[in-house]
Amino acid sequence: MVLFTMIARVADGLPLAASMQENEQPGRDLQKYQNQAKQLFRKLNEQSPDRCTLEAGDVSFHYLIEHGVCYLTLCEAVYPKKMAFGFLEDLQTEFYDNYGRKVPTVTRPYSFIEFDTYIQKMKKSYIDSRTRRNFGSINTELQDVQRIMVANIEEVLQRGEALSALDTKASNLTSLSKKYRSDAKYLNTRSTYAKVQPHLCF
Amino acid sequence: MYPPTSPYPHPPLHQTHSGPPPSKALTNTGHTTNYFHQQNNQHLQPHLPQHHPPPTVAPPAVRPPHPSAAAAQQYTPALPTNALYDPPPQQALYCTPDAYYGQQTYHAPQAQQLQHQLPHQQQQQQQHQPPVNGVGAPLYPIVSYPSAPGSSQYGTLRSSQSPCQAPGAVPTLVGAPLHQHPQTSADTNSIAPSGDMPNHSPPYNNYGYPGMQPAYQQGPASHGDSSPSHALYGQQQPQQYAQPFPNMSTLSAALGGLSGVPELELEALMPVNLLHERSLLPDRPLEAPEPNLSPDLRKVNCSPQTFRCTLSSIPQTQALLNKARLPLGLLLHPFRDLQQLPVITSNTIVRCRSCRTYINPFVSFLDQRRWKCNLCYRVNDVPDEFMYNPVTRSYGEPHKRPEVQNATVEFIASSDYMLRPPQPAVYLFVLDVSHNAVEAGYLQHFCDSLLDNLDKLPGDTRMRVGFLTFDSTVHFYNLQQGLSQPQMLVVSDIDDIFIPSHDSLMVNLKDSLELVKDLLGALPSMFRDSRVTHSALGPALQAAHQLMAPTGGRISVFQTQLPSLGAGLLPSREDPNQRSSSKGVQHLGPATDFYKKLALDCSGQQIAVDLFLLSSQYADLATLACVSKYSAGSIFYYPSYHHVHNPAQRDKFRKDLDRYLSRKIGFEAVMRIRCTKGLSIHTFHGNFFVRSTDLLSLANVNPDSAFAVQMSIDDSLVDSSLACFQAALLYTSSKGKRRIRVHTLCLPVVSQLSDVFAGADVQAITCLLANMAIDRSVSSSLGDARDALLNAVVDGLGVYRNTVSTLQQHGLIAPDNLRLFPLYILALLKQKALRTGTSTRLDERVFAMCEFKTQPLQQMMRMVYPDMYRMDTISDQGSLHLNDTVVPQPRLLHLSAERLSRDGAFLLDCGSVLYLWVGKCVNEIFIRDVLGCPNYASIPPNMTDIPELETKLSERVRAFLDWLQDNRAFSCLFYVVREDASAKLDFFQNMVEDRSEMGLSYHEFLQNLLQQMSK
Repeated sequence: MVLFTMIARVADGLPLAASMQENEQPGRDLQKYQNQAKQLFRKLNEQSPDRCTLEAGDVSFHYLIEHGVCYLTLCEAVYPKKMAFGFLEDLQTEFYDNYGRKVPTVTRPYSFIEFDTYIQKMKKSYIDSRTRRNFGSINTELQDVQRIMVANIEEVLQRGEALSALDTKASNLTSLSKKYRSDAKYLNTRSTYAKVQPHLCF
Repeated sequence: MYPPTSPYPHPPLHQTHSGPPPSKALTNTGHTTNYFHQQNNQHLQPHLPQHHPPPTVAPPAVRPPHPSAAAAQQYTPALPTNALYDPPPQQALYCTPDAYYGQQTYHAPQAQQLQHQLPHQQQQQQQHQPPVNGVGAPLYPIVSYPSAPGSSQYGTLRSSQSPCQAPGAVPTLVGAPLHQHPQTSADTNSIAPSGDMPNHSPPYNNYGYPGMQPAYQQGPASHGDSSPSHALYGQQQPQQYAQPFPNMSTLSAALGGLSGVPELELEALMPVNLLHERSLLPDRPLEAPEPNLSPDLRKVNCSPQTFRCTLSSIPQTQALLNKARLPLGLLLHPFRDLQQLPVITSNTIVRCRSCRTYINPFVSFLDQRRWKCNLCYRVNDVPDEFMYNPVTRSYGEPHKRPEVQNATVEFIASSDYMLRPPQPAVYLFVLDVSHNAVEAGYLQHFCDSLLDNLDKLPGDTRMRVGFLTFDSTVHFYNLQQGLSQPQMLVVSDIDDIFIPSHDSLMVNLKDSLELVKDLLGALPSMFRDSRVTHSALGPALQAAHQLMAPTGGRISVFQTQLPSLGAGLLPSREDPNQRSSSKGVQHLGPATDFYKKLALDCSGQQIAVDLFLLSSQYADLATLACVSKYSAGSIFYYPSYHHVHNPAQRDKFRKDLDRYLSRKIGFEAVMRIRCTKGLSIHTFHGNFFVRSTDLLSLANVNPDSAFAVQMSIDDSLVDSSLACFQAALLYTSSKGKRRIRVHTLCLPVVSQLSDVFAGADVQAITCLLANMAIDRSVSSSLGDARDALLNAVVDGLGVYRNTVSTLQQHGLIAPDNLRLFPLYILALLKQKALRTGTSTRLDERVFAMCEFKTQPLQQMMRMVYPDMYRMDTISDQGSLHLNDTVVPQPRLLHLSAERLSRDGAFLLDCGSVLYLWVGKCVNEIFIRDVLGCPNYASIPPNMTDIPELETKLSERVRAFLDWLQDNRAFSCLFYVVREDASAKLDFFQNMVEDRSEMGLSYHEFLQNLLQQMSK
């Protein structure tokens, strides 16, 4: 079942709408996943695959990018992928119809938070009809879903981290070598003075 | 940053200090300086660990649905379906940022005038002060003191204080510092662009010139030209930025402007012999003292209505503060309704990198790319975005950004300030429907009021509502869209409460509007014949908490009796025979910690609980109030509520509800108060939960709550001439916008005791002392609290007599600005919360205490020392002209029966109640023209309104009454009290200067003080 849903602008990762999490399953710490989702939004760009499933233990993120907007949902890992993407497709159509044109102009986070009402409704319909109506269609279209790229959330998030770590290390190195250079210069001068001083005294 | 939803630790004790009773602080004036501080510090220690919660704590257990427990019986009560359809809820309370943006706030010259953000009327009022003063001259003998600078013996004070000033070197403009402007600004204009002073210490060292006192400000001299000078400010806008780029010429100009001030200080410090002066009150209600700052700083400073300090000149060291024996603290009203508020949207909110202070008007720009924090003095970079000024649409003027032009601003927060998406507005109403509640008959009025206000509830289309009723069982209402009528679900297993259905109890108001209306229409009749007398409040609150936990929001509880079933049941603790006992009042603290624990659970889930207690019997408010105190809720109390027998309470309930339901609300809020390095905050007062040492967690924030804090001086402030305080309130608006409201207050730092006294704010001191006394009466005893209050006056005046005043005077003297101090303390001692000797019901006393903790200063002062005016002689002399109405401004009168006369009519303004007392021999014309009755005998005994008559006198009286009530959040009750009516007792209780069963008369009180001081 769907745990939470977020919608963000791909260009800068600005969150546009989200559904409040329902604490129907106590004990699950959604906060962690929300933060991961935020990080993910920041990493996405035009080159990112527009449909992707990211596994994170017993839950998985599914996202879909359309018209520069990323629709992401966190589901239990056992939740059928097809349904997750069906859900996202539905959201995408409705969201684009209502707010599509305003997306590039907004600056405030969660500008379209009122879309939550619709998300909640969709979510409910996907829970209710899961047992009967949808299962039938799932199996037939399963092949389709296989093509969607699967990756691990940790890997995706760390890919960037490794790069930035490298970056920090490199800049550290630069500054250290600079320091070495100036230190060396300073020592040089000092030794020169040391050499010259005795002569001057005499 | 501010974690809006972080789980918080095991419930710690916070506001109440329940410790061993402290040693008695009676009589001795020598040791009582920090009578409150010491105690608080003691108790702070054991709790200290709790201020630093462990980062993760298991969330409160949510009980799984209980399939086997007494099943939720489902049945649908016969509810009439209502075919009426109202338009979807609209909400116009919230101003959009664009609206602010477009308005004058960003228009440079006008922005200046905004600094004087006094509400319109007040500005006017000031302008019309002089004539009033003229009338009042005889009442105000202080004016007659000689105040020529240098001529009086007080001149000696000055010479020792201002070594840095060369008196002859600078031109002095005595008494008219405002005239200095053109000169100052001309100087700064030429300097500002090139200003890159290498070592920029905080601006002018002006601590030698204290106390621009309001009394003086209102004097004819400075006010005659007040409007022209406003215009002047507007034109001379760059002048404001004199501060960031000072050099010698601006400095001397500034000093020149201030050198007229010493006499103002003298005015504030002028000794008043309290035993001789019979008329101490000013003509009009007191205003906050102006801190002694340079005019440009004063101009941008935070409004005293929002932010006020007990000492408007901060002592340099703790030693000096101890010497002054005056309490140091702040009173703030951070979320009050504002008429003007600059709202700023930017990608980066500029803050100090080390102490996270928001950039504000009191920072200094070292050059265009660097600014120095005024709280921790760290030098920060100015981000590129900040170089662009949306006001002038130009680059390179960081000091003209609105953040730096206004002491009160609001930022639209970025997603860094959110841990979860902004929550929707969620309201749950928990209603008592036991027999007692049905008898009181509040349900009908509640439902009517809510029906009227459904479209005014603040929120967007996501807004959710829910209802829960309880007697000996708890009833839920399924309002799922699509149902033909509401379904009632009864859970009778109150020992193990569970939620019978998950997603249909809190419903989207827009979708289920019809069902909600049906329910509200049917509720009063559903329980009409209820015979259930028990009340399971505890379980109902537990259920409410479970319902709200996923989102957070507001729970409004309506309770009419002592909870008698399930968790949180309470015994009756009040002994009516002890009500007037002077031995000490018992049971001011909670009987159980159930409600406090529940409140803390709620606070952690961003839920606030507001309590409406409508009880005729004792209901243990001291315990029940905890549920609101720690969850940042509000408390309302309607003693002896009955819908027929007590129409006044009923009307007040209705009016309060109207305000309550439609007022602005902020969700999942936190507030942090920062102050200049060296100062620290150690105690907070108000309704909230202290999450870490300086972070207040406010599940909800409402525009009517105020807070107070006590401060100490840890490190000497010798290096700085200014001290600043910043309160930042991060909240989610009802429209789902995350916003940060920032207030910054700037005050001078002084090194002389006389300067500290000159800057004392008697109203703020009284309010802070009241808060401290209430803590003390709960943690120790009422007697101790009263003694401490008495000692506060004895100490303060004693220090003044012995050290500050050079006059060797006998008798009881006070500095002019503290002349009302003993009077206010006496009034406080006779206030319901702290009085002894007269019969006071425990709940009413506790409610008065709750009010003290949360009411804003103005309201609190009216509760302590009500304003009294004579109405039958009301005239247009000195009146205010507002738009097209003329508002008369009668004089304030002392609260003593000797000021009343039988041939007069007097208005008493107690904040939430207005009394019009009509004497027996009052002019027939007044009775006929204002009250609309032929003669005195025909005035009805319970008149609560004044007829709208077309006479001159009636118009004046009504204009004045309307004006008084104009800016109040909750409307007042109004009573016409005949001299011979039984209600006159309530009226005469407020005559605090007279001797009564509650205590001494004012004169006796002064004698008593004098005795204590000479010990």
